[in-house]
Amino acid sequence: MQLSEVMDELRSFLKKTFKVSDTDSEFTDDVHLFDYGYVDSFGAVSIITFAKERFGVTISDKDLVVHSLNTIREISTLIHQRLGGK
Amino acid sequence: MSSTATKAVTIRLESTEADYRTQVEYALSFASEDIARHEFAADGTLLLHIKSAADENAVREKVGKLLERYADRTFGLKEIVHFKQERDLPAIDAWTQLLERRWVTQVGAGHVVLRGLAARLHRTINAKVLAYMAPPFNAEEEYYPSTIRCSTLDRIAHFTSFPEHVDFVSHLREDVDVLSKFSKSCRESGWKPEHHDKAMSPIDFAICPSCCYHCYESMENWDLPKPGRATTMVVNCHRYEAGNLTTMSRLRAFHQRDVVWVGHPEYVRQSRLKADTLLIQWAKDWQVDCTFENANDMFFTDDYAVKASFQRQQEAKRELRLRIPFEKKAISCSSSNFHAATFGKAFNIKLDGRPATSGCMGWGCERWVYAIFSQFGLDQSKWPEAIRADVNTFAPEKGYNE
Repeated sequence: MQLSEVMDELRSFLKKTFKVSDTDSEFTDDVHLFDYGYVDSFGAVSIITFAKERFGVTISDKDLVVHSLNTIREISTLIHQRLGGK
Repeated sequence: MSSTATKAVTIRLESTEADYRTQVEYALSFASEDIARHEFAADGTLLLHIKSAADENAVREKVGKLLERYADRTFGLKEIVHFKQERDLPAIDAWTQLLERRWVTQVGAGHVVLRGLAARLHRTINAKVLAYMAPPFNAEEEYYPSTIRCSTLDRIAHFTSFPEHVDFVSHLREDVDVLSKFSKSCRESGWKPEHHDKAMSPIDFAICPSCCYHCYESMENWDLPKPGRATTMVVNCHRYEAGNLTTMSRLRAFHQRDVVWVGHPEYVRQSRLKADTLLIQWAKDWQVDCTFENANDMFFTDDYAVKASFQRQQEAKRELRLRIPFEKKAISCSSSNFHAATFGKAFNIKLDGRPATSGCMGWGCERWVYAIFSQFGLDQSKWPEAIRADVNTFAPEKGYNE
């Protein structure tokens, strides 16, 4: 799976789950999902569950601390790496 | 509690880290009503004293579930200290001295009355926020009720994160027979809890567990102009703390003063950063022994680890912790919080068509008072000059009972 495909799926999931408007110009692949209020601590649980159920990738509490996982690109990159992508 | 016959139960802990122990210790008070008291041994063992008649296995199971929640944190909580100020302070038993001086009177567990210099210091904290912290943000002063609808707490998922500390409110049923019976019972035998049996209405309100919830609730369906707005309020909050109520470091009834920002993410983020800087300057001016550090809430849920780790990773909570030398610990006296769009979404507060974000900074007024007395004693003349000056400015002696 290509990184862009992971990003597409994650973007769709976030838009649907967190009710992001199609006309929201600030919702980009590099927007800080937390600072910009798209995701909160409850939302983080949803993303972790999504990664596990859709891709079979486990994101642990440790990952949340060790890695910078604040944007669609950053989260997708971690998922893509764990799927064996480079 | 101490007179109850007990038996000892030993449980091995996963970690001996102080932070882990603090979290476990707090939660243990809510684990089971059969636990009379507990203590930690240096070898990582938890010793529970449970009521003799209690089912030991049931208690073990409940405590085991709690320990599981907090075990994960040993590898997942990011620690950042943004500011640290150490002072060589004596160990002053301020609690005992304040009670003796009658500047504090306990009126029930976790309930205190402040007077004299304690009341002046309390007033000073509030007034200093209004004079020093609110104006840079043009924060509008608002006044809130001390109770809040349970349905509001439900909408912001308060019950799924902190069910253990909510003080619920109810009243006698609107029925003349019920009212007469209750009144007659009290007249004949004095008030007793059992007089409430079958006499209470369904619960619909709780005492505010946090200061700023009414702020968001009262802005429901607002479309905010850019960049957003700031408010400030003080609320008499309640948190039931079971066996965790000690001295004034953790009260059941307390005053919390907040400055709140609701608006565009950049506005909220920048305002919070500015407030952090002002708060650190306040701590420097008052020369308090403190740290300003990354923190997390004591989520009382099975997904504690994820929520706490995420909150720390995002630096959604920072706490100004003042040291209490006599108790050999530090207490959180102020916190700086970023809520993302949690409240904007819950109450449909919008800005540019998107849910508004919010953040706040809070002051636990009684904790500040207690920390100042604990660090510098009851003799005002020995306090740092900046504290004395602020107290004399915001709460002059005239008109107060010294």
